[in-house]
Formats: sequence, C-alpha cells, structure tokens
Amino acid sequence: VSMAKVSAVATGAAPQIRGRQPRVRPARVRLVIPSNTSYLGVVRDVAQRVARASGFDPDTASQVALAVDEAATNAIVHAYGGAEDHEVEVCFKATATGLFVAVIDSGARLDPRRLPEVDLQRYASEGRKGGLGVHLMGRIMDSMAFRRVTGRNVCSLFKRKSGSPEVGG
Amino acid sequence: VDTLSEQAAPLAMNELAVESREVNGVWLIAPKGFINAHTARVFESELRRAVDSGRLQIVIGCGELVYIASAGLGAIMGTIEEIRRGGGDLRLAGLSPAVQNVFEILGFTYLYRIFGSEQEAVLSFRAPVGGADS
Repeated sequence: VSMAKVSAVATGAAPQIRGRQPRVRPARVRLVIPSNTSYLGVVRDVAQRVARASGFDPDTASQVALAVDEAATNAIVHAYGGAEDHEVEVCFKATATGLFVAVIDSGARLDPRRLPEVDLQRYASEGRKGGLGVHLMGRIMDSMAFRRVTGRNVCSLFKRKSGSPEVGG
Repeated sequence: VDTLSEQAAPLAMNELAVESREVNGVWLIAPKGFINAHTARVFESELRRAVDSGRLQIVIGCGELVYIASAGLGAIMGTIEEIRRGGGDLRLAGLSPAVQNVFEILGFTYLYRIFGSEQEAVLSFRAPVGGADS
C-alpha cells in the first residue's frame, strides 16, 4: 500500500521592490494519495489546515475541507470506479486573493456538471443519493470547473477570501 | 446496546463509531466522529438495520458527530421515504454548528425536523402531530 505524500512550499515574502507593497509568493501544497477512500481523512485534514494557514476562519476552512473531500471522493469512487491502485493528486495554491485547489485523477472521463440539478424533495421521494457532493462543492466554493487535460480529470476549485475582489479560478 | 458494524475497516473505526439504542420506544442512532465516503457504510448499515427490523421512529443523535460529507447525507436521503411511508420519521438532534451548516447548505433543514437535544427529539414522537419544533 503506497503512502500519502505531502509536499509544501512555505509562504515567504519576496524581496521588496522599492516603492511597492511587498509581494507574498503563493504558498503551494501538493498532496498525493492512493485512490482509496481510507485516505479521505488525510485529504480533509490537510485541506482544513491549508485553508486555516492561508487565512480562512475555522468554519470556512471546514467547509473548504468538505468541498475538497467531495472532489477527491468523486475521483476515487467515480473516475476510478473504486479501483485502489491509482493516485489522486490534490494541489493547493494560497494567494492573497484566496485558495485555489485542483483535484486531479487519471480515471474515466468525468464531468459531474452533467449531473441533473439536485431537487431535494424528488431525491428524498426516490431514495436517490448521487449528485449531492457536487451540489455541496458548488454551494461552498466561489468557483468550480471540471476539465479533461491530457487524459486526466482536473477539478478546479476556488474560495475567495472575504474582502478580496472577485477573481475566479 | 452498543453496536459497531463488523464491516468497518480499521481506518474507518478510528474515524467513526456508531452506537444504537432504544430510548422510550424510539431508536436512537448516535454516530461519533467523521462520516465521509469511507465511513458512511458503517452509518448506513446501522440505519438500514433499524429500518429492516421495523424501527421506524428514529433519532440521529449528532452530539458527537464532528463531520458529515454527502455520502452520509445520502444514507439519510436513501431511507427517509421508506421510513415515512411506513408511518415513521427520522429526526435529528444536537447538531454542531458545522454539521448544521452542511444541512442548511443542502436545504435539509426543510426536509427534516431538527431538535436541540436527543431528549427533545425522542419526546417529539410522543407529542401530538404539529408539536413545536426547537
């Protein structure tokens, strides 16, 4: 069983250019996990800590962690169909504007946007369960995009810091 | 009676334990820890076991539920209609602000009756229809 790998680049102030605000280099964290749902707790913990470290309050950080958990769940359960011998990559980039997250897998083409709009009443009456995760991700994050890039699914999420201008990922 | 699903993998057991017991004729299911796509089956099997054995007055005691992802919400969605068709209901109690927030995001607060404490939720099954919610 392969282990989860985490790499991080510490946030550091770039050398100050005269007369300008010091620019803060984006902090990057990259996490690679086996495509096994038992590692979702690791994804949640890292996402929560990265969101906190990048300046989000605990409640918002928890929500971001939930959205990232849902994206990783989609990769493992839907793109890989539960096969455990693959990897899911989660890349975080914290900037002054907010937190960008990319969840990447090499599984089957996946575009969760094609899921029908969630109608909770109908879901309950039909005992349906699917689609709730993407619905949650969309409600929590400020932007959400699904792309197929060179045979890989890339789910891009962005959460804006309060007070930052609207810049999506 | 404390129960813990035998199907739980070691990692899942660290993350979630589910206890079920009867309180005044109402079946109380108390998930403790984290419900995600990995641990949801432990929670879902407890829920399933209750419904299959005809226990249709159910309270999910969320006092020690730290986290719930869509897989756990799906488990609730997947059984609610069957429970209500059978004349029962599934009610929730003691949600932490974080868990309550997830329920609100999904609009679950309109689909389920939510109470401040397990005791209130249990007693609500004894109250006449239309009793006050917390």
